[in-house]
Amino acid sequence: MQMLKVENLMVFFENALALNDFSMELDEGQIVGVIGSNSAGKTTLMNTLSGLILDMRIKEKRRGGERITIYGKIIYRGEDISNVPPSERVKKGIVLCRERHPVFGESSVVENLRIAGYLKSRGHIRKTIEYVFEVFPGLKRLRGRKAGFLSGGEQQMLAIGMALVAEPSLLLLDEPLLGLSPMMQNMLVESIKRLKSDSGMTVVLSEQFARPVLPMIDHGYIIENGMLTLSGTGQELMDNPEVKAAYFGV
Amino acid sequence: MLIGTLVYGFVNSAILALVAMGFNLTFGISGVANFAYGAVYIFSGFFAWILLNSAGLPYIVCVIGAIVGAGILGILMYYTVILRVKGIALSEVMATFGLGLAIMELFRYFDFVGFRYTLPIFFDGSLSMGEVYIDYQRLIIALIAIALTTFLYFFTRYTKIGLAFRAIAQDERTALTFGIESDRIGALSMAFGSALAAVAAIVILPLGTIAVEGGYEVLINALAVCIVGGLGSTVGILVASVLIGYAQTFTANYLEPHWMILVSLIAIAVILTIKPSGLFGKQKELEERV
Repeated sequence: MQMLKVENLMVFFENALALNDFSMELDEGQIVGVIGSNSAGKTTLMNTLSGLILDMRIKEKRRGGERITIYGKIIYRGEDISNVPPSERVKKGIVLCRERHPVFGESSVVENLRIAGYLKSRGHIRKTIEYVFEVFPGLKRLRGRKAGFLSGGEQQMLAIGMALVAEPSLLLLDEPLLGLSPMMQNMLVESIKRLKSDSGMTVVLSEQFARPVLPMIDHGYIIENGMLTLSGTGQELMDNPEVKAAYFGV
Repeated sequence: MLIGTLVYGFVNSAILALVAMGFNLTFGISGVANFAYGAVYIFSGFFAWILLNSAGLPYIVCVIGAIVGAGILGILMYYTVILRVKGIALSEVMATFGLGLAIMELFRYFDFVGFRYTLPIFFDGSLSMGEVYIDYQRLIIALIAIALTTFLYFFTRYTKIGLAFRAIAQDERTALTFGIESDRIGALSMAFGSALAAVAAIVILPLGTIAVEGGYEVLINALAVCIVGGLGSTVGILVASVLIGYAQTFTANYLEPHWMILVSLIAIAVILTIKPSGLFGKQKELEERV
């Protein structure tokens, strides 16, 4: 069943075009990858899907500026959510985990997880925190530590854990592997696969490293300069000579 | 004499802590330096007085009314004025300061001046500790300051709204990704800050009269405590309150009583020259760690 449909999305920051006529579709239960180099538009795409760009635009407009322009449609489970604010999108199950492991550095690991459950009941929060500790056992012994004093990999695990507490149907992961060691990357890839098999969660993840990501995704989109250049299943992309040249260095 | 100064210095510290708490809370959460804080303080005082003397309500109702009224005033200020300039620090200061002036001078314009504007003390009488006498009202001030500090500590750690407050204070955009609306939390932070100003007003004002000038003084004291302690730091606020509180009391007892406010101004000047971020200003070490 189709879950998300993005139609001709265009995002301008002043006159810089960050996303150019970008369209994509995904079905429930899929893991979809958005692959591209730095400044390809991955983060803009993720922030537009989660509504953060819309929020930025509203706040900017309030102060009298109009530097952000968004065109196009985002349809989620048959409903046009292009103008739905981010908090409402979270309620609908679209949860973004921002790039560079965004955690609240001055709060402890458990507090971070509880903050993430802002819209959820206490019972749900307690249950999912246990689940997060099961998926990322390393976090359990760090539960009382301030998140700012965790390592990069631990912060990334916590960031994904926080997204899980918000109970996503559609989980958006913005560059989850950024700055992690290959071992840590493998571990995260395994946990993302586990989320899919555990709860049938739909995942969109953006990455510049194609190598660890392509084998795990159902469908992939290659994005360059804000434009969609290629799409296909993970296997198709891996076999594509251009992708091989650009991302595998063969 | 010395023991008396120490006891009264502690009460004065509690007064400063009470006065600074609301200002610090609003700033710490939404980043808005609410320069209308002094105005909210005297608004609460006059509002309680009106409820008590013109409407003739029981005092406890007036107290609750003033606290709720101040909270609503805070929310109104947030949605009508602050929201439009949020994120532009200078405009925020000008807008809130202007608003504060307007509120305070309106009271003066409508002739809210004179000795009849006083709030009743809670319990009459005083306690003697050796040769030092301390009235119950001052004891209540100290107790309420301690109780509120404890309450805020647990509130920001164990309740949803409190945790959301801390989340917004640290990273607004990430907080948004969990459905924490920055506008709503910002308005709530103004409401809480203003309600704390009202609590301070209700317990402190019975010591004297409600006067428009008191609003300016409260703002200066709140600023002094927050600047010396470091804006956004609760520990800093407590330490700064004790430092300035005792410095003021010693100045009043051994030098001149009306030099008290000078202590605050000098403290601001000294700290801004030596350590502009304040004694317990936010540490930078946690910010970047990739």
